[in-house]
Amino acid sequence: MEVVLKNYPRLLEGALLTLEVTLFSVAIGCIIGLFMGLLRLSGAKPLRLLARVYIDFFRGTPLLVQIFIIYYGLPIPQWFRGGQALLTAHFNVPDFISSYMLPVFLSGVIACSLNSGAYIAEIFRAGVQSIEKGQVEAARSLGMTSSQAMRFVVLPQAFKRVVPPLGNEFIAMLKDTSLLSVIGFAELLRQGQLLVGHYYVAFPIYLAVAFIYLIMTFSFSRLVDFTERRLKTGD
Amino acid sequence: MIRVEGLHKGFGRLKVLNGIDCHVSPREVVVVIGPSGSGKSTFLRCINMLEEPTAGKISIDGVSLLDPKTNINSVRAEVGMVFQRFNLFPHKTALENICLAPLKVKNISKGDAESLGHSLLKKVGLSDKANVYPDQLSGGQQQRVAIARALAMQPKVMLFDEPTSALDPEMVGEVLAVMKDLAREGMTMVVVTHEMGFAREVGDRVIFMDEGLIVEEGTPDELFLEPRNNRLKSFLSKIL
Repeated sequence: MEVVLKNYPRLLEGALLTLEVTLFSVAIGCIIGLFMGLLRLSGAKPLRLLARVYIDFFRGTPLLVQIFIIYYGLPIPQWFRGGQALLTAHFNVPDFISSYMLPVFLSGVIACSLNSGAYIAEIFRAGVQSIEKGQVEAARSLGMTSSQAMRFVVLPQAFKRVVPPLGNEFIAMLKDTSLLSVIGFAELLRQGQLLVGHYYVAFPIYLAVAFIYLIMTFSFSRLVDFTERRLKTGD
Repeated sequence: MIRVEGLHKGFGRLKVLNGIDCHVSPREVVVVIGPSGSGKSTFLRCINMLEEPTAGKISIDGVSLLDPKTNINSVRAEVGMVFQRFNLFPHKTALENICLAPLKVKNISKGDAESLGHSLLKKVGLSDKANVYPDQLSGGQQQRVAIARALAMQPKVMLFDEPTSALDPEMVGEVLAVMKDLAREGMTMVVVTHEMGFAREVGDRVIFMDEGLIVEEGTPDELFLEPRNNRLKSFLSKIL
């Protein structure tokens, strides 16, 4: 127990990184998801197919494998390394791409946001499809184009409906970022592992790690409930 | 004003309209009656292309709707439609419901849109409900806002698709009253309804449809007092 009490700042540091990587990933995932979700509903078959392939790939393969592919496998573009070399040479910026691999934080965000984007695309698609057909008909009958009907009538209503599933996605992603410990990203679980390796006591440390995850997910689900109730009143 | 020739519409193998010919003159109020499943609503929805006809010709004010060069959005802007289920936008207030299309489709200023909105709310007797959301309005009030919303585009024609069928009986009157006012002002209207009283009082012409065809048409007195067709006779005996 003292191990935890003595080292809890390390765990909190990890928790902060967990939150950061989750926030970035879900935020970028929302942008990708909205875009892909709309492509999925588009009238053009090739666009629908593109979204389909993206969604099926990232939902149908393990996140851990995606993390490996991106961290170990994604080639770093030449211009990126060139830019890095320039920064190091002229502005004394530390060399953050020391090897041929992307830095762990960046790889983590890329992998998690691509993964999250696939799930969020389905959330947005379902949200849009849940809006009554009569809403689009009313908008079109007033002379709006289909994109105007989408922007001013369907999406504002769909956004309200996707708040709860988006909250769930955030919580799921918060937990899934623990997979990033495998590539050495110093998030919460990884910090716990390092402590365990140092002190040779596992139970209290991993219990503390679990507890911190629980605090984060619990408080976030309360926040989602609250927002949901607030949004309902304006309906 | 509206000219429909040889209109056919099928959904897959189901044939809903089997050759409708119909002409509506400016300022005329045409009431469409008929048993359910006779194609009344589909006919109405074809007039603003919410349903795409399988064959036939439709033109409004000389503009052919099925011509690929026609911009259907600008045609729809001039054809107002009122739905059975109101279809108000639930995330917008009564006033915002009315102002949305003039703002976005006609690009008029916010001030102009709002004064237009307020005057239309006054016209339908809901001046005090401008900032109320649809779920706080009764069915009759919602339908009156929906009529005001359609009028905000200053349409040449108004289509009503069973506007009182989803209402509690005590609210039917207030909606019909607004429609009567409109007819009196000279609006061209096509109304699908089961309100025979309204058809008799306001309709210039009544069309009886059955099985996707216009079976009989004429003045309300001709149809209601001296029906010739047997199907019309049995329809009237059931509802009157």
